Amino acid sequence: MTVEAASLKAVPATRPQRKRSERSKAASIALHAALVIASLIAVFPVFWVLVTSFKPDARAVETTPTLFNESSVDNYVRILSGDKGDFLAWFGNSVLIALMTTVIAVFLSATTGYAASRFRFPGKRSLMLSFLVVQMFPFAVLIVPLYNILLALGLQGTSFGLVLVYCTTAVPFCTYMLKGYFDTIPTDIDEAGRVDGLSPFGVFWRLVMPLARPGLAVTAFYAFLTAWGEVAFASAFLSAADESKTLAVGLQVFVQQNRTEWGHLAAASILVAVPAIAVFYLVQRFLVTGLSSGAVKG
Amino acid sequence: MRRFLDRHWYAYAMVLPVVVVIAVLVLYPLAQGIFFTFTNINEGNIANPVLDRAATYTGVGLTNYLNVLSGDPSFGSFWSTLIRTLIWTFGCVLCHYGFGLALAVLLNRQVKGRALYRVLLILPWAVPAFISAFAWKYMFNAQYGIINQFLRALGLPDPIWLGQSDWALVAVVIVNVWLGVPFMMVALLGGLQSIPGDLYEAAEMDGASPWQRFRHVTLPGLRSVSSTVVLLGIIWTFNMFAVIYLITGPNPNTRILVTYAFERFFSGASRDYAVASTYGVLILSVLLVFASVYRRALRKQGEVW
Amino acid sequence: MAEVAYVKASRIFSGNPPVRAVDELSLDVSDGEFLVLVGPSGSGKSTALRMLAGLEDVDEGAIKIGGKDVTNVPPKGRDIAMVFQSYALYPHMTVAENMGFALKLRGVNKAEIKEKVAEAAKMLDLTKYLERKPKALSGGQRQRVAMGRAIVREPSVFLMDEPLSNLDAKLRVETRANIAALQQRLGTTTIYVTHDQVEAMTMGHRVAVLKDGLLQQCDTPRALYDKPANAFVAGFMGSPAMNLKTVPLTSEGAKLDGIVVPLERHAMDTASAEGLNEVTFGIRPESLALVGSQHHGMEMTVELVEELGADALVHGAVRIGASSERFVVRVDGRTPPTLGQTVKVAVRDATEIHLFHPESGFRLTN
Ligand SMILES: Nc1ncnc2c1ncn2[C@@H]1O[C@H](COP(=O)(O)OP(=O)(O)OP(=O)(O)O)[C@@H](O)[C@H]1O
Ligand SMILES: [Mg+2]
Repeated sequence: MTVEAASLKAVPATRPQRKRSERSKAASIALHAALVIASLIAVFPVFWVLVTSFKPDARAVETTPTLFNESSVDNYVRILSGDKGDFLAWFGNSVLIALMTTVIAVFLSATTGYAASRFRFPGKRSLMLSFLVVQMFPFAVLIVPLYNILLALGLQGTSFGLVLVYCTTAVPFCTYMLKGYFDTIPTDIDEAGRVDGLSPFGVFWRLVMPLARPGLAVTAFYAFLTAWGEVAFASAFLSAADESKTLAVGLQVFVQQNRTEWGHLAAASILVAVPAIAVFYLVQRFLVTGLSSGAVKG
Repeated sequence: MRRFLDRHWYAYAMVLPVVVVIAVLVLYPLAQGIFFTFTNINEGNIANPVLDRAATYTGVGLTNYLNVLSGDPSFGSFWSTLIRTLIWTFGCVLCHYGFGLALAVLLNRQVKGRALYRVLLILPWAVPAFISAFAWKYMFNAQYGIINQFLRALGLPDPIWLGQSDWALVAVVIVNVWLGVPFMMVALLGGLQSIPGDLYEAAEMDGASPWQRFRHVTLPGLRSVSSTVVLLGIIWTFNMFAVIYLITGPNPNTRILVTYAFERFFSGASRDYAVASTYGVLILSVLLVFASVYRRALRKQGEVW
Repeated sequence: MAEVAYVKASRIFSGNPPVRAVDELSLDVSDGEFLVLVGPSGSGKSTALRMLAGLEDVDEGAIKIGGKDVTNVPPKGRDIAMVFQSYALYPHMTVAENMGFALKLRGVNKAEIKEKVAEAAKMLDLTKYLERKPKALSGGQRQRVAMGRAIVREPSVFLMDEPLSNLDAKLRVETRANIAALQQRLGTTTIYVTHDQVEAMTMGHRVAVLKDGLLQQCDTPRALYDKPANAFVAGFMGSPAMNLKTVPLTSEGAKLDGIVVPLERHAMDTASAEGLNEVTFGIRPESLALVGSQHHGMEMTVELVEELGADALVHGAVRIGASSERFVVRVDGRTPPTLGQTVKVAVRDATEIHLFHPESGFRLTN
């Protein structure tokens, strides 16, 4: 009898009730530890470039690296003052080219993605398949034919020619992504718009585009990055004059034959990375929804 | 015909710009590139408008293909390079997918500071590739690189990462994994968020353990995203030349098909466009074959894609 | 204000085999009329409506609005307004912007738009919500915004595709009455799609019944109920459904469980002209009655009693020939029979019997 009573009492005591949503402390710590380590790995290279960017070139190659070593903003000053080549002109070119690429690629992939999402037309399947094939293109190897065609079009050496090349590399994926996003917008909205008096283009422009902002933001981010950090095409298709280079091309001056000016290169890299990271920060809250609906639908 | 145009002209008007751009900038260069593979074109015999010199290259039939496919080291040891390319591609994509999925699952939980973790983890995607390449090259340096200093501090061996050894391949794989995980993670995170929560609840009611829920709810729910991003990942990695080229340069230990083609194209006095194009065509063919096999395999499993 | 006409209009979806979603539909709707399209799921109601809206191609035949052939006119040229089942409100616009959008596209000046929107909002009790986004509204409020968007335009035809199906039962009954009253007041020609035959009966001036893309009958609710043109309409309209059984025919009438129900002359003549020895016999539950055991009637074993309050529905098995068929009888709610009991059922009035051709389903009775 007494035994029974004791065991009855013991039951609730040995099984403490835990709320469903709560995690055990250990699991919680492990989760945070994993995320912290992953974040450190993700951020560290950028952080290290930042640290290096303040060091003089000579200090940057010491065998026992330290956080600070005669650190100053000299590298930045010298780069921005044009001591190492016309940095500001390069920056301007890069901004112009990246923005043009962004606008054109977003526009092209939005119209195509919308047509692919909403209309059934002969040739649609082959169009989408050809986009997949274009992704497989080893573009770097086609520089000569590309050069020839740009020359024939009178675009060789101009920013616009380069922008078009970037668009061809960015548009196929962007179209997939946007098609997926448009698929998540109910077609009823389009139809309501048609009944309210819009043409199909009107529906696209006044209803679907405003509703697709997250998808468009991600597309813009992707297109911007395609153009912003690209080296091979930029060095092949822009004229060789110093003032028409992009940043990515211009920065190669810091990587000389057998000696790299690490400190300056680091500072310049930070200057190049900042706009890209700023764009990233603007769109990051859309990234997950924007990208995935594209990838989910494929 | 009128009716056909009447019905479809909106659609065609909207895809026309892209079709034109792609036809001009892809189809035409592709055709010309294929044509080059049957010639001996190089810097010395190509038409040069600046020097006002006409083209003098001649057709050589299948010689380029025969040379490349023979596996001759002076033509890039095609077969062993192909194998290295496959190791590189599948190694990278496996890590992308594995780490991407793991991080996506972690981020999909209710965890404090989730937004901050997400921003930090996606950051590598936002850094221009040539800067990442430079940063890693600097960190991998055998003398003053922070990585070796770290390894020495732990009492581990400190290899010469970017030298003429397979360590170089390991190094570029590490860099490419670092670069590619954010994309996978974001795509898979979106996929996870699109799995309805009541599926998990139903599985829990049926008595599924957390692992079983992952196995039977999460993974099937991610199938459609996964099949797309894995295919894209494979294609992109297969053709990823910037990372390798910027970090190790023309190093035979990190040579994959694209970098060799590019090497052939850019370095050396003669700039052998013919062989570079031959490599380009072969790369495209390998990927096409792979993609169609992949799609067929998916379709067999009932995936409509 | 306009009359609407479908002239042998068809919509064929390509496929294998092609689907004739709407098959040679001919229908005239007069000015100011409230016409309800009803039918089971997949019968082509939405397709027919969307053809009228210009959202779906017309593959054969024509569509006229206000006497004008609009078969190839895009939606914006048809002067119609539509209420969607999902409401299809523009998520990025406020209620006021949603309602005024069509006017804005037509270039109406701002003050006038504002006035018209305010007026419609007052009519629909939406004034408080004009500055909200649709996301911040309840289902019933969204439904009213969708109505408002249609009203503001003052179109010549309203189209509505199951606008009430997302509302709860009570709100649905209320809104049903409101829509009917509104239509009465505005006097705008309205085509209303529903799969709910109660909605059809209560709202429509006339009701068109569709099945598999084919128009079965179009008439006033009363006429549909009293004189269904075929067995399908007879079974579809009315709740609970009419009892429809195939029964053997003798020279005196239809034979049911030992009794012979005398049939009207005309029906007998038609049946014998066709050489039929069976007919489809239809009788509504309220046209049957329980009678005392001394009377003539069918013997029915009670299998289920549904008490509805005022009356009760008695489901039971009756032998017809070799098989046993289920019948439903509406009886007084206060004295229903009990389960398992055997009762006698008789036809109240022979004129309420409907007879149909056993194969084609066409009506034989007058
Ligand atoms: N785009 C399409 N392609 C092929 N078939 C279609 C298409 N749209 C509709 N159908 C077919 O046309 C028929 C009629 O469809 P419709 O949507 O008009 O039915 P409904 O009467 O509105 O049904 P519900 O009450 O379920 O809404 C169905 O058999 C449907 O499968
Ligand atoms: Mg419908």
